[in-house]
Amino acid sequence: MNALLLGIKLQFKMDIRSKTLLVTCYLVPLLFFAVMGGIFTSLMPEAKNTLIQSMTVMGVSMGALAGVPPSIVEIYGTDIKKMYSANGIPMYFGLVSLFVSAFIHIMVMGLIIFAAAPIIFHASIPSNLPLYFLALALFIIVSLSIACILGLAVKSQAKLTMYSQIIFLPSIMLSGIMFPAEFLPKILENIGKLFPATWGYILLSQNNRSSSAFIPLFIILFTAVILNSILLKKIRSS
Amino acid sequence: MSYAIEITDLKKSYGNTEVLKGISFHVKQGEIFGILGINGAGKTTTLECIEGFRKYTSGTIKVKGKIGIQLQSASLPSYIKVKEAVQLFTKWKKADTDTSLLYALGINDLEKKLYTELSTGQKRRLHLALALIGNPDVLFLDEPTAGLDVEGRISLHNEIRKLKEKGTTIILASHDMSEVETLCNRIAILNDGVISFLGTTGELASKVGKRYMIKILSEDGEKEYSTGSIADSLLKILEEYKRKNITILDLKINRGTLEQHFIDIAKG
Repeated sequence: MNALLLGIKLQFKMDIRSKTLLVTCYLVPLLFFAVMGGIFTSLMPEAKNTLIQSMTVMGVSMGALAGVPPSIVEIYGTDIKKMYSANGIPMYFGLVSLFVSAFIHIMVMGLIIFAAAPIIFHASIPSNLPLYFLALALFIIVSLSIACILGLAVKSQAKLTMYSQIIFLPSIMLSGIMFPAEFLPKILENIGKLFPATWGYILLSQNNRSSSAFIPLFIILFTAVILNSILLKKIRSS
Repeated sequence: MSYAIEITDLKKSYGNTEVLKGISFHVKQGEIFGILGINGAGKTTTLECIEGFRKYTSGTIKVKGKIGIQLQSASLPSYIKVKEAVQLFTKWKKADTDTSLLYALGINDLEKKLYTELSTGQKRRLHLALALIGNPDVLFLDEPTAGLDVEGRISLHNEIRKLKEKGTTIILASHDMSEVETLCNRIAILNDGVISFLGTTGELASKVGKRYMIKILSEDGEKEYSTGSIADSLLKILEEYKRKNITILDLKINRGTLEQHFIDIAKG
């Protein structure tokens, strides 16, 4: 096994040992799913058609935006980064290992919702499964890339909590998972389109291969990759 | 003579502030070389330039062989186990797996412990073990015993001596004079970006032997005087007290310590 793969394997284990990621990637999203799934489907029976998608968008946003940035700050905001650098470990290692490990955890959480929702709440299964899982993978990647920006740009855990919430809350409120986005005032609807959750929800809910919702996610991803590269370069030079 | 490190006219500026003003020294293979200085003297900048962490303005730095670095302030992820950290660093350094390091540093029984569960001393030992992976020819130690208790210091000093016996060249940055006196063959004392003393600890000790500390307790309080010529100085000091009509309550004369001499040199 090469060094990067070993690092990812160790990070995956550390994420399980650390309660933070377990809480934000599994406990809170699945608890939210259990409670809100029941409320949504009993108040609005038609919510069964999009329950898997809406609960997954909530879980992915929670896991990525609230769970991952603190782990990034633990590496890049402390002496760990110096320790890695002094021992020949490349600067990207911490970010890549956290990213891949978090991707696996969040995907597992998405699979649990996908498997449990039809059994517990009689939720409809997406008709185009390959498209659904492709969209889910892309949405997780985009959400994690935003989480990486937060973790690299903000150095203190206290400020990080605030910034994470500034992104997480509007993501959920304006994405259309709680109530249809078209019911929102135009300005809020447009603000909602800045967040990946809105496009993730649209993409997960559609059953055809329309590229219209893929494009915004790719634009956000492209921008995030550039910003992450700049931040990493800045950290390296400092 | 074969040198492990050669530094020639090293200069480093941050903006308009010149932190290193052209320092030159060499380190022989297999010796322990101490870099001393008070805070802000340029000690860490010098080390970081040699280690390759920091770009320097001008001069030349030559380091022969593989290097290992133990940082003063270092850390690892809280939930990594000791064994996993060793595995990870071994992989990245493309070195052979060698658990004898853990035995040598007395941390073999901590393999399954999480980093967050280790004491300060155990963490220091682990950092040293990680720096030693791949058998570096030159080892940089920055304040290696800071925060350790007496037992931990003695134990770590013994490990450093063993490394020297194996032929490892060691650069030790410290402001602890007793540590440097115990371990180092030669030292450089940095003061305001220049080397104000370069030589063996023996040479430093011979200078110290010629200095005295005169401590006078009077009705005005306690005062200390450092001097190389005890008779002349004592006479002048006593005359001064007599002229001012100040009563002397107690008077002590001690030979200066290495630490006092370091302070004299380091503060210019």
